[in-house]
Amino acid sequence: MMINKRHGRLAAVAVAMAATLAATAACGGSDAPATTDGTKAADEKITLTLQTFGGGTNFGYKAAVEKWNQEHPNVQVKYNNLTPDFENQYWPQMLNWLQAGKGAGDVIGIDEGGMGLAKARPQFFTDLSQYGLDSRKADFPAWKWENGVNTEGKLFALGTDVGGMAVAYRKDLFKKAGLPTDREEVAKLWSTWDDFIATGKKFQEKVKDVKFVDGLNTWFNVVLSQEAAKNGNVSYYDKENKLIVDTNPAVKSAFDFASKVNEAGISAKLRNFQDPWTAGMKKGAFATMGAPGWMLGVIQGNITENGEKPDQGKGQWDVAAVPGGSGNWGGSWLAVPKQSQHPKEAAELASYLTSPEAQLLAFKEGGNLPSTIPAQDSPELQGAVNDWFSGAPLGEIFGPSIKTLPPIFLGEKHSQTKTEVENVVLGMDDGSIPADQAWQKFIDEAKKVAEG
Amino acid sequence: MTTIAQTRQRANDRANRRRDPFRATPLTKAALLFAILLSVFPIYWMIVIASRTTSQAVDTPPPLLPGGNLGENIARVFATEDAHFITGLTNSLIVTSTVTLSVVLISTLAGFAFARLRFRGRKLLLGSILLTMMVPIQQMGIVPLYQLMVNLGWTGTLQAVILPFLLNGFGVFMMTQYTEQAVPHELVEAARVDGATTMRIYWNVILPAVRPGMAVLALQVFMLNWNEFMWPLIVLTPENPTVQVSIAFLTGQHTADYALIFTGTALSVLPLLIVFIAFGRQIVGGLMEGAVKA
Amino acid sequence: MSLHVDTDRTGRAPAPPRGSRHGRRGSKGRRERTGRFDLRVTPYLLISPYFLLFAVFGIFPLGFTLWVSLQKYELAGDAEFAGLDNYIKLMSDGDFWNAVVNTVGIFILSTVPQLILALLLANALNKRIRGRLFFRLGVLIPLITSVVAVAVVFTQLYGRDYGMINWVLNLVGIDNIAWQNEKWSSWLAIATMVDWRWTGYNAIIYLAAMQTIGRDLYEAASIDGATPRRQFWQITLPMLRPTIIFTVFVSTIGGLTLFAEPVLFNNGTMTGGSNGQFQTVAMYIVEQGFRRFEYGYAATVAWMLFVLILIGVLINYALVRRIGGGSR
Repeated sequence: MMINKRHGRLAAVAVAMAATLAATAACGGSDAPATTDGTKAADEKITLTLQTFGGGTNFGYKAAVEKWNQEHPNVQVKYNNLTPDFENQYWPQMLNWLQAGKGAGDVIGIDEGGMGLAKARPQFFTDLSQYGLDSRKADFPAWKWENGVNTEGKLFALGTDVGGMAVAYRKDLFKKAGLPTDREEVAKLWSTWDDFIATGKKFQEKVKDVKFVDGLNTWFNVVLSQEAAKNGNVSYYDKENKLIVDTNPAVKSAFDFASKVNEAGISAKLRNFQDPWTAGMKKGAFATMGAPGWMLGVIQGNITENGEKPDQGKGQWDVAAVPGGSGNWGGSWLAVPKQSQHPKEAAELASYLTSPEAQLLAFKEGGNLPSTIPAQDSPELQGAVNDWFSGAPLGEIFGPSIKTLPPIFLGEKHSQTKTEVENVVLGMDDGSIPADQAWQKFIDEAKKVAEG
Repeated sequence: MTTIAQTRQRANDRANRRRDPFRATPLTKAALLFAILLSVFPIYWMIVIASRTTSQAVDTPPPLLPGGNLGENIARVFATEDAHFITGLTNSLIVTSTVTLSVVLISTLAGFAFARLRFRGRKLLLGSILLTMMVPIQQMGIVPLYQLMVNLGWTGTLQAVILPFLLNGFGVFMMTQYTEQAVPHELVEAARVDGATTMRIYWNVILPAVRPGMAVLALQVFMLNWNEFMWPLIVLTPENPTVQVSIAFLTGQHTADYALIFTGTALSVLPLLIVFIAFGRQIVGGLMEGAVKA
Repeated sequence: MSLHVDTDRTGRAPAPPRGSRHGRRGSKGRRERTGRFDLRVTPYLLISPYFLLFAVFGIFPLGFTLWVSLQKYELAGDAEFAGLDNYIKLMSDGDFWNAVVNTVGIFILSTVPQLILALLLANALNKRIRGRLFFRLGVLIPLITSVVAVAVVFTQLYGRDYGMINWVLNLVGIDNIAWQNEKWSSWLAIATMVDWRWTGYNAIIYLAAMQTIGRDLYEAASIDGATPRRQFWQITLPMLRPTIIFTVFVSTIGGLTLFAEPVLFNNGTMTGGSNGQFQTVAMYIVEQGFRRFEYGYAATVAWMLFVLILIGVLINYALVRRIGGGSR
């Protein structure tokens, strides 16, 4: 009868639905149950997720991870670089996952700007000293080590790289503008930042379709890191976590420099770490870029499309000394979130990736300057030459200053503040904020975050 | 219905060819062709870029014809493990089918009750559903829903993106209207007289009669849910995404690698495109019939 | 397809028969009891899934949102009760009001042309034309793409330096436009994404309604010498009122909760441009709640979004009463 047929169909629907729900439940529960002590039988194969951020070659861990995976067949590492943008994307998402207890990798990268908050939230991270990583202390300069110790006095993060500072420039474009292309002579063009802008104007007179700098924000950060070192090693916050954007001369100097670049009309008005900036780098939309060590990997990685076409653009770029002396922009740490199901192996991985050996691999891959003393002293670093950057002697450029880089204090809310004030710098760049109102807005936005 | 319309139209055609107000002028045809061009172009562009290299994608003048790198790009998308693209596609299918089945079931049940049964508080309850249609629950309640999922330990799991979407006020409203128009009272009464229980009436009388409405509702819910972005972006992780979230992560991980990103995007559109081409006639027909009755 | 729900018709329906004439199984008394139970209780059972789910995933979140909105959260940390502080802050929060203006602006900029274009398109599709199905499918095809796909493709097309739209504008002598940088340009760009996706769909809905209008009306008008344009205004439009109102209603809720397009238009960030040129209210909620971890404040903004939608819907309701009334 009809009814039976219909009921048959009903049953089919019900079965289908139950099956879907079951599949759902299975997918939902696919995270293996956590083992309480994190130990596993020796022959059991586990996978660790390594999450990082940054453009181009980012942390430069490709070779290091490959090596680890070869040597540890039972502890395989998945290297997942999530986004180029730390403040806007990576860190807020990571904080969500840390709070939710799910989503963060077994080992995660944290930029200097996030360390203030990470230190103040011990509940998020595994105490690395319980896996004997206290023994690494002698490898690191004191400030890099101390920043990895949280407010409870526990070691939770190990240093990866440090900033350093130079200028990367396009030789072919400099030639087009009638400027010298040799790195020694280029450095002589800009012994001060005013000279740098003057050079930019000269460049712009000759070359119309390409701008001298990428955008205001990169250079704002270059100058800020230099000036902070001259003003008590503080940036947006003082060491009591009080907002000082309106009183710290370093911030105002950096802002004023950005304004001058803006007035000079030499900016390509691209926002660093966003798509058009990356595309502009590939197409050659600007001639210079402020370059801490890791930025070299961003440039090379973006142009060579993550190392898939290793010779693309080779010999176009070179690296010269920066005006205004050494600075320390960027530099990161690796931490093991408490939610990791394999904290012991994760701690081992973090220790391996921050070892002098792996740091030198990362340096070779992405220019990330090592933070461990043995790696800094090594001939591999001090004598390093980068072929892709026209044979630039990176060891000579970064080597002398690398051990004396100033540790800059960044407050708990540094990352959130940075997002907002940089938006003002970018707004000045793209014209959505009038230049004469920008400084006031800069301070207002910072205050909103600090008070919020 | 269609046959009547068609017959009538044919008769009209014969009778009134000269003064026909439905004659398409060349201008109309040109305008329609232009509209189609605009509709298709972005999809075509997606394929052009997906079949080229990234450096060609940012060339000036832009490439206007497809290139020969499609296979290579597809291989790259699937080789990009960290985008979890396959997982994303599978997850989206699971989530969207479950939500669609649930909404259709819940809506036909409630629609039947509201349209053809008498019970106390009927008007009030139906009115309250109309009100809830105006509340974008998943957006308004995003903070507590997120905290709820955290407390249940469900962040990063599919039930987190399924459960909040299992109900849909619009569905109930639509099925109520559809049932009212598609099921005559007499049919329900006759079944009652035959001694059928309410549930049996639902299965034997209501469901067969409202099937076209169900199909339209299912189609709309499916598309709505397939596109859901805000909530999955927040509650899911890159390791277990829906397809939309997976593309968002792909764009983040491979900044300005347009060939790769567009290939991923094209692949995400492909399943629906196939369905659309295969069942185009039925989809248009269903949408139109559903639209008139609802 | 109107919002009018026929609530009276069932009320007038003949009362259900009591008892049964054909007691096929069980005694007459038991059947009567189960029958009465069935009549009284089953309706509630049928609607209960909706209301149960609504209680858990509707009422609870809304109520809890209210509670959360009274809290002040530490960055990625604990909360404390703050009374109405968040609401007071909101009133003078320029960023919030900026987001409201953007949301309403983009909504109007996308909905009005979209519905007008859809009407014209439907009118054209309603003509006798060869390859009807081809045209209908053609205008409907944007619907199958996803919002994310649309945003990704259009953002690339709107690229300042290498986008095709600027390239075309260059051909006619207009300099590159940085679409993200100004309110007008970013709104326009986002509105086109919304329009591209939904215009064809609305056209099909209108077309369906148009085809229910009797052809004799048009023929009579033709004989009276009314031009096709006049027929459109005098016959088609008035008959479509309920459908138009419905589409406006749906677009309102969609438009006021706009999120994916403006987010992906700016590389996935929630700020909507360097100066919040195109930050919508939904983006502001996520920025506050999940970027700055001001959960309490995000919940406050969420309530305001509800108020905004309520206002939008009330305006629609007024429209329903004013113009929809005559057609039924």
